[in-house]
Amino acid sequence: MAQAPEAAGESALDRASPTGPRRPATTPSAAGRRLSPDPKRRPRVVAAALAVLAVALAVSLILATLQGTVAIPPQTVLEIILRHLGVPLTPHWSAADDLIIMQVRLPRALGAALVGAALGVSGALLQGLLRNPLADPLLLGTSSGAGLGAVVAIALTASITVDWLGFSLVALLAFAGALLSVALVYALATRGGRTPVVTLLLAGVAVGAMLTAAQTLVIVLAVSLQQRFGALYFWFSGAVDVESWASLWVVGALLAVGLLAALWVAPTLDAFALGEEMAGSLGVAVERRKLAIVGAAALLVAASVTIGGLIGFVGLVAPHLCRMALGPRSRPLVAASALGGAIFVTLADLLARAIIAPSELPLGVLTAVIGGPFFLWLLRYAGQRYRW
Amino acid sequence: MSDARTTASAAIAFEDVTFRYSPTSEPVAQGVSLAVQPGEMVALLGPNGAGKSTLLKLASGALRPQAGRVTLDGRDMRGLSREAVARRVAMAPQDFGVQFAYTVRQIVELGRTPYLGSWGVMRAADRHAVDEAMELVGVTPLADRVFAELSGGERQWALIALTLAQQAPTLLLDEPTAHLDIRRQIETLELLRRLNRTRGLTVLATMHDINLAARYFPRLALFKRRIVADGPPASALDPAMLSALYETPVRIGILRGDERLSVRLPPLVEAVDGALVSAVAAPPVRAHVVAGGGSGELLMRALADVGIPFSAGPLNIGDSDHTLAERLAAMVLAEPPYAPVSPEGLAAAREHITEAGTLVICPAPLGPGNVTLLDAALAARQRGTRLILLEPGAAEDATRPMALVAARDFSGRGVAAFEALLAAGAEIAVSPAAVVALLAAS
Repeated sequence: MAQAPEAAGESALDRASPTGPRRPATTPSAAGRRLSPDPKRRPRVVAAALAVLAVALAVSLILATLQGTVAIPPQTVLEIILRHLGVPLTPHWSAADDLIIMQVRLPRALGAALVGAALGVSGALLQGLLRNPLADPLLLGTSSGAGLGAVVAIALTASITVDWLGFSLVALLAFAGALLSVALVYALATRGGRTPVVTLLLAGVAVGAMLTAAQTLVIVLAVSLQQRFGALYFWFSGAVDVESWASLWVVGALLAVGLLAALWVAPTLDAFALGEEMAGSLGVAVERRKLAIVGAAALLVAASVTIGGLIGFVGLVAPHLCRMALGPRSRPLVAASALGGAIFVTLADLLARAIIAPSELPLGVLTAVIGGPFFLWLLRYAGQRYRW
Repeated sequence: MSDARTTASAAIAFEDVTFRYSPTSEPVAQGVSLAVQPGEMVALLGPNGAGKSTLLKLASGALRPQAGRVTLDGRDMRGLSREAVARRVAMAPQDFGVQFAYTVRQIVELGRTPYLGSWGVMRAADRHAVDEAMELVGVTPLADRVFAELSGGERQWALIALTLAQQAPTLLLDEPTAHLDIRRQIETLELLRRLNRTRGLTVLATMHDINLAARYFPRLALFKRRIVADGPPASALDPAMLSALYETPVRIGILRGDERLSVRLPPLVEAVDGALVSAVAAPPVRAHVVAGGGSGELLMRALADVGIPFSAGPLNIGDSDHTLAERLAAMVLAEPPYAPVSPEGLAAAREHITEAGTLVICPAPLGPGNVTLLDAALAARQRGTRLILLEPGAAEDATRPMALVAARDFSGRGVAAFEALLAAGAEIAVSPAAVVALLAAS
């Protein structure tokens, strides 16, 4: 344990401290060598890191499908999945096992991964756009918009039942609420064709407060909600709930669109690090790109709330962890945040199901309980070297 | 200022440009016309809030004028895409914060933004341009340092490397020497001049330091909502114009041992009763100098150097002391060439002696034309005015000064008048520095 600080320093971006002695140009620091002494080697470092993350995600997903009340041997789990991927295997397992893996555990694990990826990417986008290390995908009014949608839906669930591709009314209204609130915030912050990011942030906070008030009002006034506090509470603290493969495909498609858009606008985020005006003088179509960034982030958050509810902390922490490891470059950061967020939520969801099995803990509790201390530990030891 | 021919060939031309930040606000630029030819190096001077940075932003396309037009290489900026503009002009704004730990190389690479495709992928040519830009500016050793952790000078150079990586023929720099120490200011401007000379880069920079601007920029444009002067330093730096532009009494001169014009600051004014007296209001004169024939030169320079405001005269026009006093003194009483002191001049001198409270008499040759000033001096001394006699050759004893006075007295009554002055309590100072010391002590 005594070596932990150094270990943390090693793994994080180790750079010349501002007060440290200037290192001569001919002998780059160990950290420099780690990071990017040779621009041609940098892509390889990034590719290796992404490959490691991808493997870690695959392992997390398999671990997640192993956890459950019915004990199914790992080999059988793998065989069931492989068979459904088209590998010709003779089933030596029961139809019930097949059902548990394919209709319950795997969709749940994949759902968690999709939610985490979406939150990680939108966090990376917004931290870059707002040039603010505190930026969180839930900041632009998305959480309160989605929350209001969910509250209204839960209030109505007694009288209306909706099932569209496995999405409940709660999922659909939360999705709409998240998107509409961002659209509202963006429209309010735009003046004369320009949307200053500070105005965007302030409008997000103001609209968020109003929508939260509306939520509270609905909760207090709607009698039907009085008996459904449990469902309400669970949704608000985040819980992955996948009803069908169809809903997974839809969320997966939305994630793919959002991720592609994020990877496309990533170089713009690097230019935005110099400020919008400088980005403009570098030839960036500032306002259009900004809209694309916010649009992609909003779409990703909206997709995540349909099957994950409100999961905090992931969108904030995942990009920071990835930035510590890979540096601030936006495109590798977006890709790594997708994988990192996916791993984070998959493992958190696994623990949420495992700790008090057969009962479940709210996922949001797990992300905060595991993520919080880990993040604080990094802040304390690696954070000295990490520039927000 | 910019006829059609020069505008068409100009790297950047403002044609009757008017810009305001909001429809109700005062225009920041009004009817501005300025053409910068390729390869020129132009400094924009003007007080804070004059709109210098705004003008640069208009040239970089960040702002669009409400009236008039800005052309790049003769083409209207409105007809150019943002990327096309970015390939023609590169902008280095004033120091700004960069979020996250981008390295210097990563920052310089952003200069390639206008050349990358929609996916923003760097090619070998882009990397080469980045390497070359860093090499030119000399920031290659900083390549892997975190930009946000650099010193002000290093940041400025990294920024210049970014603009060079942009490979635009024109550089716009917003106060490239702000926040830099004197050595780095000079190094930065030397760098710009080198780029201008060896690479033919057109440079348009806002500057606050007029002296540095005059030293490094062959052309200065004085700006305050409009171009008020434009030309080489010798013609653009008119003291009256500068004083009006900056609303402060600045003076232009050539310092001893220097070959270039210098802008000199108004004298320092002491705080009175804890309140800072504005230096813009004419400071009170603290001494009146009587000189002539070059006898006052050293003293007047000394007074000006330490910032003691003084009046002088009467002096004959054409006398070297008169020429110098015109530059250094707050007020000069003049008489026609070779003329004796007129009764009006004498009356005016009495007035100024009283106002100054201290009279300094330099070892000027005494003739019938000016010996009357000694009578006025005696009268003033008797009224309580402090009187200092500058006698550089004087020793400790009181007899030597009289010998010196006698040697330059052509009026016949100079020695007697000096003895009367000494008897009345005049002090003797043996050097201009001694005069300054006496004045400072009072």
